[in-house]
Amino acid sequence: MTPGRRTQARTPLPSTYTPAPGHRFSVGDRVAVKRTFPPGHRRTPYYIRGKRGVIERICGAFPNPEELAYGFDGEPRKVLYRVRFAQNHVWEDYSGPTHDVIEMEIFEHWLEPAPGAAARSGSDEPG
Amino acid sequence: MSEKALNKGPHDMGGEAAGPIDTTDHGMKFWEKQANALRSTLSAKKVVRVDELRRAAEDLGDQYYKLEYFERTTAALRTLLLEKGIITEGELRAQMAEVRARFDVPKAPASPVKNGMRR
Repeated sequence: MTPGRRTQARTPLPSTYTPAPGHRFSVGDRVAVKRTFPPGHRRTPYYIRGKRGVIERICGAFPNPEELAYGFDGEPRKVLYRVRFAQNHVWEDYSGPTHDVIEMEIFEHWLEPAPGAAARSGSDEPG
Repeated sequence: MSEKALNKGPHDMGGEAAGPIDTTDHGMKFWEKQANALRSTLSAKKVVRVDELRRAAEDLGDQYYKLEYFERTTAALRTLLLEKGIITEGELRAQMAEVRARFDVPKAPASPVKNGMRR
């Protein structure tokens, strides 16, 4: 049998998720994206800085792209999270349904506990 | 507030007013295929990283949207190869001159055959 697209499609794709030992935040934690505007290659879009969301999942730990961008090895690895934000919080003039969310993958060094949120986990509330 | 745009890269356009999106497939020009193959090869050989290419492209600033996609990625590749000392500015200039000279053929003189044999 010749291996082709069809056979490849049946094989489950390997997960790109990697272990993230020593992660600071857990699923359900309320976080805020740092409101800072440093120069250089940054992987956190401007419009999400300063916004508050909830950790949706821990994606893994990866070489830091903000260091790789300048030819360094990206070590130590940074934990990457998927963070859920309410659309009407991100966009002041958002006119869609109030339950609409935007999820974005953000590195740990861009996150801090949301104001008033104790370092705890377990909340299922959306942002 | 000027703080709004502090250190904002040209690629970071989320939330900005946007016009219609051109969804026509423009295909690839010959040089674009070659440039893309070179970029793929250098990436596969880990000579350059995608993060570096992005950074070099973002650093184009105002030039970013004046260039077409493959012009932008090629400009980024040029920056990285110079940065890493894989090529020098002088070598690149010499090679470009050499390539240009290959196409620098004199204009064909008017053909007496064509002129005289109008049907």
